[in-house]
Amino acid sequence: MDAVRTAIMSNRFNAIVEEASAAVYRTAHTTFVKLVQDYQCALATAEGDMFAYPMMSGVNVFIGSPLRPTLDAIGRDTLKPGDIIITNDPFSTDGLVTHLMDVTLLYPIFRDGTLIAVGWSFVHASDIGGAVPGSISPAFTEVFQEGLRVRPAKLYEEGVLNTTIKSIFEDNSRIPAELWGDIQAMISGLKSMDRRINELCDRYGRDSVELGMRDVIGYAETKARAVIRNIPEGVYSFSDYLEGINEGQLAYFSVTLTVRGGEIDVDFTGTDPQLAAAYNLVTGATTHPYVVQCLITFILTMDPLTPRNSGILRAIHAHAPRGTVLNAVFPASGGSRAASATRAYDIIMGCLNQALPEGVGAAGAGMAGVIVVSAPDPRTGRDRVNVINTIHGGGGGRRISDGVDGTEVRYSQRMVPVEVIEVETPVIMRAIRSVPDSRRAGRFASGAALEMEMENTANRAVMTVRNMNRFVFAPWGFRGGEQGLLGQTIVNPGRPDERSIGKISVLEMAQGDVVRITSPTGGGFGDPMERDLGAIAGEIDNGMLSRERAADVYAVVFDADGRIDRAKTEMRRRERRKPDVPDFNFCAERKRQDHVWAMPARRKLASMALAFDLRIRSQLVANIHKRMLAAGITVDDDMLQLIVSEEAARLSGHRARAS
Amino acid sequence: MLRIGVDIGGTFTDFCGWREGEQDITSLKVPSTPPDFENGFKQGFERLLERLRPEDGESALVMHGTTVSTNAVIERKGPKIAFFVTKGYRDLLELQRMGVRNPLNIFENRTKPLVDRAMVFEVEERLLRGGTVETAIDEEAVEALARQAMEAGAAGFAVALLHSYANPHHETIVERAIRRVVGKDAEVSLSSEIWPRIGEYERATISVLNAFVRRRMNTYIGAVENYVEARLPGSQLFVTRSNGGAMAAAEARAFPVHTLLSGPASGVTAVQYLGRAIGEHNILTMDMGGTSTDISLVRDGEALTSTAAEVGDFPVVMPVTGIEAIGAGGGSIAALDGGVLRIGPQSAGSFPGPACFGRGGTAPTLTDAYLLAGYLPEALLGGAMHLNINAAEKAMASIAEALGTDVATAAEMCVTVASSNMVAGVLPYLARQGVDPEELTLLVYGGAGAIQGPLLAAEIGVNRVLVPSTPSVFCALGGLVSELSNDTMETVHGRDVDGALIARTFAALKEQAADWLARQASPDRLVSQTFECWAAMRYVGQSFQIDVRLPDSAVEAEDLKAMHDAFHQEHERIYSHADPGAAVEFVDLRMRVRGAMSIPEPASPGTVMTGAPVKGVRPMRFQGHVYPEVRIYDRANLGLNEAIHGPAVIEQPEATIVVPPDFIAHTGAYGAIFMSRS
Repeated sequence: MDAVRTAIMSNRFNAIVEEASAAVYRTAHTTFVKLVQDYQCALATAEGDMFAYPMMSGVNVFIGSPLRPTLDAIGRDTLKPGDIIITNDPFSTDGLVTHLMDVTLLYPIFRDGTLIAVGWSFVHASDIGGAVPGSISPAFTEVFQEGLRVRPAKLYEEGVLNTTIKSIFEDNSRIPAELWGDIQAMISGLKSMDRRINELCDRYGRDSVELGMRDVIGYAETKARAVIRNIPEGVYSFSDYLEGINEGQLAYFSVTLTVRGGEIDVDFTGTDPQLAAAYNLVTGATTHPYVVQCLITFILTMDPLTPRNSGILRAIHAHAPRGTVLNAVFPASGGSRAASATRAYDIIMGCLNQALPEGVGAAGAGMAGVIVVSAPDPRTGRDRVNVINTIHGGGGGRRISDGVDGTEVRYSQRMVPVEVIEVETPVIMRAIRSVPDSRRAGRFASGAALEMEMENTANRAVMTVRNMNRFVFAPWGFRGGEQGLLGQTIVNPGRPDERSIGKISVLEMAQGDVVRITSPTGGGFGDPMERDLGAIAGEIDNGMLSRERAADVYAVVFDADGRIDRAKTEMRRRERRKPDVPDFNFCAERKRQDHVWAMPARRKLASMALAFDLRIRSQLVANIHKRMLAAGITVDDDMLQLIVSEEAARLSGHRARAS
Repeated sequence: MLRIGVDIGGTFTDFCGWREGEQDITSLKVPSTPPDFENGFKQGFERLLERLRPEDGESALVMHGTTVSTNAVIERKGPKIAFFVTKGYRDLLELQRMGVRNPLNIFENRTKPLVDRAMVFEVEERLLRGGTVETAIDEEAVEALARQAMEAGAAGFAVALLHSYANPHHETIVERAIRRVVGKDAEVSLSSEIWPRIGEYERATISVLNAFVRRRMNTYIGAVENYVEARLPGSQLFVTRSNGGAMAAAEARAFPVHTLLSGPASGVTAVQYLGRAIGEHNILTMDMGGTSTDISLVRDGEALTSTAAEVGDFPVVMPVTGIEAIGAGGGSIAALDGGVLRIGPQSAGSFPGPACFGRGGTAPTLTDAYLLAGYLPEALLGGAMHLNINAAEKAMASIAEALGTDVATAAEMCVTVASSNMVAGVLPYLARQGVDPEELTLLVYGGAGAIQGPLLAAEIGVNRVLVPSTPSVFCALGGLVSELSNDTMETVHGRDVDGALIARTFAALKEQAADWLARQASPDRLVSQTFECWAAMRYVGQSFQIDVRLPDSAVEAEDLKAMHDAFHQEHERIYSHADPGAAVEFVDLRMRVRGAMSIPEPASPGTVMTGAPVKGVRPMRFQGHVYPEVRIYDRANLGLNEAIHGPAVIEQPEATIVVPPDFIAHTGAYGAIFMSRS
């Protein structure tokens, strides 16, 4: 690796992809791209390793996404200058595409007749057909409900547009013109990358450019490995639950992180089979960045100057068994797969916490609920579907800092202003606030819960909130930090008809109805007895912490004037300090479930289910999980063998009779 | 009548002076004197007056650029502010629309607000869309809150109520209540008065920023104003602002929020001035100082305007001259990182600064690299500042060793990597604007701009480089030539907009704009005034909008179609596509007023050549090649149109200009140096 050439090429490659990303953004047609920036483009080597990825715009979760399987399947020797591949199929691309809405292009870049790089780009299409406008509903059970699916095909062949492919996309979208506009925007970005890579070859020679690609990947690898070497070697396991869409529906997420010889093995074996809900993620045979986002973030946190390319993943070997929710197979639905990526992040964080003596952070609120209201537009009177906002929840306490109020750092999305919502929709936002006394105690507290109070002023409105979570299993605290708070939804708070409704899937609202969503919060980090008294005083002063709670969770003693009595507080803290605190502070529901389903048994259940017919796996796990929970007995190996075969027979029998 | 431009930066305070009717502009630099910046101002002002020799009774228009307000925000030094907000939104400033800057940093936090939650007061009132009153405000209840705030030590007040952009009535009642309790001199900043734009967090932030910097700016500008008045009675002080224009001192004392981004904006104003004079209308500007490099764009003679600027991580959504920071400055430190040479992001800053400054810095910086590669002479500022080449060599030795080469070669490698860093900033920036580098002229200024700029031009495919005659006091020149300028706006989002409403709204805005101008300066000082109609527009149903200049004729004729056409055209220009069949809507309407005062005709400096143009030779390195005898030119002795073939260096007391190989430079109109690829 040449010190100067690597630096120059790294800068040059970054300039090329940033420029192309800007071009896609600038020329894209749909609001989704413009506002949410759910799109990206990047450059990969001819083999399919991403060597440059933009950071200034677009999404950042696909650094190092796998191009190889797709290129292998197409055959690199069939590619010619002027070809552009289009696909939106997670299954045949083995995870290059992660849900149907991400319309993806591949663009081979040639120099002197030789393939030297591949441009990649996607946009989240605002509609790709399917049963609902926008194509996404968590309730979808099969990919067929989510719209059109096209395996890799040449949209352009040697520069000539295949109008049949084009019309297939157009004919199957509710917004054909916008979709085609976004595809053209991607092509402008890809062409820009092609031109710039060739200019770079003119200037530095093809060999230098190709060496540069390898060097910058090597550079990222070197830096990532340096971070990994600071993680103590060992085997770390963790698991957590993702709540499904129906009452009692769950998915068990489990991981074993093995740190050895400067490398990390990430094994998701023991994670539940794919669900009959759109939470499934296709990640393929190689390490997919989307499921190891926590590790990528950790590396970039420890060394922010690490180049953002596939080199980061070189020392990370992830494996999720086929058929699980983290590596789903056809015909899994996956529109809301982000929920699963969130929980994968959490369980890896659980392992890092065990690996690093000082830990990293407690669990965050762990959800990103998308609030949508369908109601007459106050300006036109016509029905309109409005995305009101996304609601997250307080972040978990971290080893050097409190959690963020009302959100977690992994969600960088900004809220739509209240004034804009009130102009464009019949909703009045009564409040968006941090809930006092909701920060969970710890040496570093969690962020506060976020409360949103919305009133419907139209004569009718329907609210849906997709991807709500942590209404059953509270986020865990760490090293004595308090567990997080659950989310809750209350209709008409303070009125005679007040009612708590749990997660919202579809809520009919009458005129004047108010709904108050209170987000979950993450857990606290570290012993509350060690929390800085100045920080506590500040929170009391600004109304975020009551004296009662300060006395209760932080052992604060107040003097006659109501000020913190340091000496007495220290004394009480010494009395209250517990000698042996477990690393993780789980909620009562989690403990109840763990009592029946300890990690080895629960993992085994998930793995055993994979041996059965795809159609019964999820049901098998759910039935057994619930049955044993109701019985309240700790499940052991022998018991498991028996009940699995019993339940499998019953389900197969049902199926047999039904058909 | 004199006209004086002053620009105060962290390190130097720059002055330009000009007497109406004359040709020459005088300029000078003195060290800044933080935290009491007025001392540096006075020293420089006196020296300038020595040169300008004002006649008895001669007064001056002083155009002052200052970073006093900006520093107050960045250093978070300000009085305790109380913030009044609609009930339900006490956490508005904390939650910041939920955004965090870097989702790839596990330990990221939001910016701490300038007002603590304890000083936020919820007002029981509510307006709805269109500004209709749902819950009327109770003035007595507000008075009680004001008393609480005063008891808690509030020294200033910021007010932002929901939908006040559409109806300021409740905010004015809050102001009245505060004044009744605190006194009529209470400093109250109303969001609806400063910038009535839809979007509560951004509007609230503007009111808070204004309240936060008000006292400090008031004191500082008051002191400068008194000094100028005492020194040259009858003079008037103006303050430059973030939109590239200027305003009267009294306006700046009440609305200092408009000065937060004025520093770099003045430089771009000077670029426009020079560009207009020499007929360059598409210019990439590059201002490279010790700690950072700022770029901006002038297109068709107009500076790019941004409504998404930031100060200290706080959004500033008024239209300001769009500036982008692209990292490295002269103080950026070179280091090997995982076997790769990097420049920055660490910087030696202005203190201790580069090793060669001899102030105790030991890390190799870009400035050290310039010296070692032969670009910089050992004596700067006409000999007033000596550069220590031994210290630079010592600092660079570790880099050279790691690279397995000598210090001079290592130095040039550092410069090359710095150029490539900037490439990674500039090219995407141009792509976002939809501009091809080949259409542009690069205009460089600032301390190091004329060294790195020409090298960068060669990398990004810009074929022409322009170095103004006084690159290091360019912002002061920008102040000197700036116009009085203000924006007024009205949000129309959600209203039924027709041609008549637009015409009516602009008529009202124009009245406000004319009133504003009348408050700034007496009409006899203005040589012209112009009013521009702007609108934020978008396709119906979209959530992002673009700024469109509406033709006056369309507004006057209430011709909605012509306005829509202007939108489609602008959309086509920016995004390369438009949909003339789709419905279009207006978000807000804006009027920009410009009042021009007389300014110097740009002129070539007097050609008083006292010596030979070539004053010596030095060895230098470019692109890995050693050029043993590169000629050093003395800018003061360059004849007009004299061609200088690169590689060469042109020196002047406060700047060094590198002419890379393959470039030809010549002095042209207005004393500027033009370079082009041969």
